[in-house]
This record gives sequence, structure tokens and C-alpha cells, in this order.
Amino acid sequence: MSDFSPNWLIASQSARFVLRERTVALLAVLFVVLVLISAWLGWQATSTVNQIYLQAAAFLAAAGQPVPSNPVLEISPLALMRNMSVYVALIGALAAIVIGNRLVSIDRKAGVLPLIGIRPLHRSAYADGKIAALLGLVLGLIAVAALMAVTTLLLLPALRLTSAQWLQLAGFMAISALYMACFGLIGLAAAAWAKSETVGLLLPVTLWLTASFILPQLTANLNPTAAINPISALAAAPDTGFFQLSGALLGPLSVADAYKFASANLLDYLPQGLSSPSVISPVASLILLTLAAGGLAWRALTRMAMTQGEFDV
Amino acid sequence: MSNLTPIGIIAAKDIRDALQDRFILIVTGFLGLAAAVALATGAIALRGDLATYAAAKATLLSIGKSIDAIKAPEFYPLRLLRGAIEQIEIIGAAIAILIGYRAAASERGRQTLALILTRPLRNWQFVAGKMLAGFALLAVGLAVVLAGLALLLHLTSGVGLGGNDLLRIGLVWAVALIYTTFFFLLGFVLTLHMRQPSHALLAGFAVWLLLVLIAPQIGDTLDPDNQVAGGVFAQLHIAKPDQTEIMKRFANFESLRNGIEAGSVTKHFERFSFAILGIKPIYTGMAITPILTEMFGNLVWIFLTALGLASLALVLPLNPNRLAKA
Repeated sequence: MSDFSPNWLIASQSARFVLRERTVALLAVLFVVLVLISAWLGWQATSTVNQIYLQAAAFLAAAGQPVPSNPVLEISPLALMRNMSVYVALIGALAAIVIGNRLVSIDRKAGVLPLIGIRPLHRSAYADGKIAALLGLVLGLIAVAALMAVTTLLLLPALRLTSAQWLQLAGFMAISALYMACFGLIGLAAAAWAKSETVGLLLPVTLWLTASFILPQLTANLNPTAAINPISALAAAPDTGFFQLSGALLGPLSVADAYKFASANLLDYLPQGLSSPSVISPVASLILLTLAAGGLAWRALTRMAMTQGEFDV
Repeated sequence: MSNLTPIGIIAAKDIRDALQDRFILIVTGFLGLAAAVALATGAIALRGDLATYAAAKATLLSIGKSIDAIKAPEFYPLRLLRGAIEQIEIIGAAIAILIGYRAAASERGRQTLALILTRPLRNWQFVAGKMLAGFALLAVGLAVVLAGLALLLHLTSGVGLGGNDLLRIGLVWAVALIYTTFFFLLGFVLTLHMRQPSHALLAGFAVWLLLVLIAPQIGDTLDPDNQVAGGVFAQLHIAKPDQTEIMKRFANFESLRNGIEAGSVTKHFERFSFAILGIKPIYTGMAITPILTEMFGNLVWIFLTALGLASLALVLPLNPNRLAKA
């Protein structure tokens, strides 16, 4: 009978409602398409660099100059999926925010909160159900992305991953789920807390913009367009006291930086000698920030006024 | 003149509303903060480069060696605006969508749209009034941000900005205004015509993601020189003229890459701004007129995309089913 617990009913009903929304479906489809594109991009870019090397090697040999080693041979097959980290950080996080927002705003707009409020339900059941629905939907999206990645790596010729590399790929999918869940939980919290529907959506989007494009400038002088290229985003921070201090202090809060370093490490494209300037490890940062976002969401959901449903205009 | 009065009244009311609830002040402040952070961190990094150069120079001189082996950091004050321009192209565009969304959603949310349209006012006048207000709000917001950046640059660079520099910043302001107007119109048209305003906002953000982040990202990622840390040609020790020669054999690949980038209005704005401010090295020190001539295609693209959406906004009939709160 545990299948019919209030938490489960709220989670399954909420997830079903959200999946019926066209906007959520649009973002989910966009995410899946971009995951596929990321695999093509990785393969296409690597193959072009290989061809450039062959041309350059012939050119250098003809000129009697020494021919350096092929940089493509130094690239791990896992690094072909490096663009996926960018798409998780862009569209994945935004899709999670939208899912989190819709999970609560659907109830508020439908005016069902007062009805739920008069049921013999513990306040935490509603919060637990909504959080479970969010985590289930995020895990569903990540499962589709993982399936695409595994299929690509199995289908592309001349790519053989070791068992350690398959584990690294699983680790990357796990931190991607954490990253998306972190923003999704903030979306849940904002939708529960905000008086206006617009504010409920804009607050997490503003936080996402800040994390993606402002904090990396403070921690590493990384311009926004460099932040969306997996290789350029890993430029070393300027060697000055300011960036050493800001990297150490803001690093633990800079969720986009933490995800960037953790992804690069797991997908084998982190340049040698480069590491996160943060005082705690990127994966620990991601776990702590997601837990904090979870706490925030739980608090906002359990304190939501069940006597009024609708948003203010 | 009688046509202008209702447009002016609608525009004035929208501007008053935006100022009254401090929405425009908050979003302008956020953009200003993002741009100022970009400028400040760029300046701090440059100062670090100068200090490193000075230390290396002193070391070489103390051991009696030539300083020709080390390259002095280049200092062009306008180049420090690179991060700020990128913030305008990303966050500025997102804010413009929000302003467009609010311009349409406020009337639907307050159920006042149907009421307004019962007045002796043509639909196109209502739409034009809203567009005029959005344009004015963006113009003032961008002017405040860019003027603040220019002042900060003038005070902190130690070089000072001349009339030519200010003219270049003024040109970037004008083009940034048209660029952000495109995104304002996107948010406005979607919100006015889609069934649910909140879905329109999300659709606007989806288009923003594709045009502002994903298309330039794909173009940038396909650049072979961005695939290897430090650049593939630098790693292979290939000189610039030889690079050009090798890349001629990848003309089709480069056309595809450029085509993907050129599909994004953001890339056109970036190309124009980086050229006029001398951020891209080949344009550093070049006079304004030849840059404008070379960038004419980018300007036309930006202008036509905004004009196309403005025409669509004026032409599309207002659907009575979309007049009320969803």
C-alpha cells in the first residue's frame, strides 16, 4: 500500500501534470536534441583538428621542420562529450527551473491549495511529494541524455572506453543531475515563496544568470562567451591576489564553476596542472549547494499559505 | 498629430508604470552591476599582467639581458569593455524580453486590455505606444549603463577617454538599442498573442537561448583553434600566414561554421561592437568610417530583424480571446 502514500500521490500527480505542459515538453525536447548535437559537435570538431594536423604535418615535413605530436591522440574519447556539460549548464538548468516553477505554479493557478490544505495531510507530505516529483523528472531527463551519450560512444567507430571511463561517464551524469536539481529546487522554492508568478520564475533565472555569467568573471576573469565554450572556460585565472582570494572565497558558492571543473575532470578534458581555486572540491560544492537548495525548497513549501492559491498579478 | 497623441499617452503610461514599481530600475541596476564587474575584473587582470611584465623586465635588466624576449601587455582602454559588451548581449537581451513581456502581460493581468480597446483607439496605436515605451526604456537604461562604464573607464584607466572614444561608445549604444529592441519585440509579440503569458515568457527564453547562447556556442566550438587548449596552431607552432593557407582547404567547414554563427543576431552585434571598440585586434586603431563600411552587413542584419518583428507586431490583429488574464 506504500504506493498510495500521500507523498507518492502528490509526486506522481504533479509529475503527470507538468509533463502535459507544452512549454516543459518544448524545453525537454530542446535539451535532448542539444545532447545529440553535442555528440556530433565533439566528433566533428575532433575530426577536423585531426585533418588539420595531417595537413600541417605534411606542410611542416615539406619545409624540413620538426613535426609535433598529434593533439587528437592526447584527447580521451570521453572528451567527445564535453559540449554536453555546456548544454546541461544552459538548457538543462533552465529546463529544471521551469519544471520546479510549474510543479508549484500549476497548483497555485488552479486554486487547489486550499483544497489540499483541508485534507488530513502533514505539511511535509506536500513538500516531499513536490521535491520527489522534481527529482524524478530531472533524473528522467538525465537518463535520456545518458542513453544518447552511451549510444553515441558505442556507435562511433574507433572509440573504446575502459571500464574506468564508463564509470567516469556515470559520474558525469550524476553531477549533471545534481546541477540540474540544484536549480530545479531553487525554482520550486521561488514559486512557493513569490507572490507573483513572474517573480517566481525570474528570481531563479536571475540566480542562474549570476552563477553562469557574473561569478566566473569574479573568480577567473572569464568573459561570458568564453564561459559557454568547454575549452575556453578552463583558462587559468590571472595570477593576482584578487583572483586568488575571490576564487577561494566565492568558489564554494560558484555552482557553475564547480560543475565546469567537475565535468572537465570526469570527461578527461581538464588541462594538466589546472584545478579549481575553491577551498572545497567541486563535487563537494555541488553536493552542498544542492542540499542547501533542497532545504530552501522544503522550507518554502512547508510554509506556503494553503489558505490562498492564486498568485497576485 | 491626432494619431500621435494616443500613442504618446499609452507610451507615457507604460513608462510611468515601469518606473513606479521600480522594475526598470532593478533590471537596469542588475545589468549595470554585471557590466561593471566585467570591467573591473578585466582591469584587475590587466594590472596583474602589467605588474608581471614590470617584474620580468626588471629581472632581465638586472642580469644585463635584452627585454626584447618578453612582450609588453597592450593597453587600449576600450578593449576593457569586452566583458561588459558580452553582458549586454546576453543579460541585456534577457532583460529586453522581460520588458516586452511586462508591456503585454500587465494589461492582460489587470484585465485592462479589453477596456483600453473600447476607447477610441486603433489597435496599431496601442501596439505602437507600447513599442515606443519599451524603446524609450531600453534607450535610457542602456545609456545609463554605458555612461557609467565610460565614466568608470575614464577614472580608472589612467589614460582618459577622448571624443573619438566617446563617439565609438555612442555608436555601440545606438546599435545595442536596436539589438535589444529585437528581443523586447520578441517578448512583447509572444506575450500579446500566446494563450498563456507565462508560456510566452518561456518561449521567449527558449528563442533567447538558441539565438544568444547556443548558435554562437556551436560556431565557437566548431572553430578548430578552440578545440585544443592554447589553440591547435599554437600547439603545432604554425605561423599565421601558413595557418591561413592550411585553413583554405577547410573552406566548406568554415562556411558552415560561419553560417551557424551568422544566423544569430547576437553574433552580428558582437562583431560590430568588437570592431568599433577595437576589441578585435585587426580593428584596433582603425578609423570609424572604414569600420562602419566593413560592418555594414552586420548593421543591416540587426536593423532588419528588429524592423521585421516591429512590422509583425503592428500587423498582427489583436485576438479578443487573448485579451484577458489566462
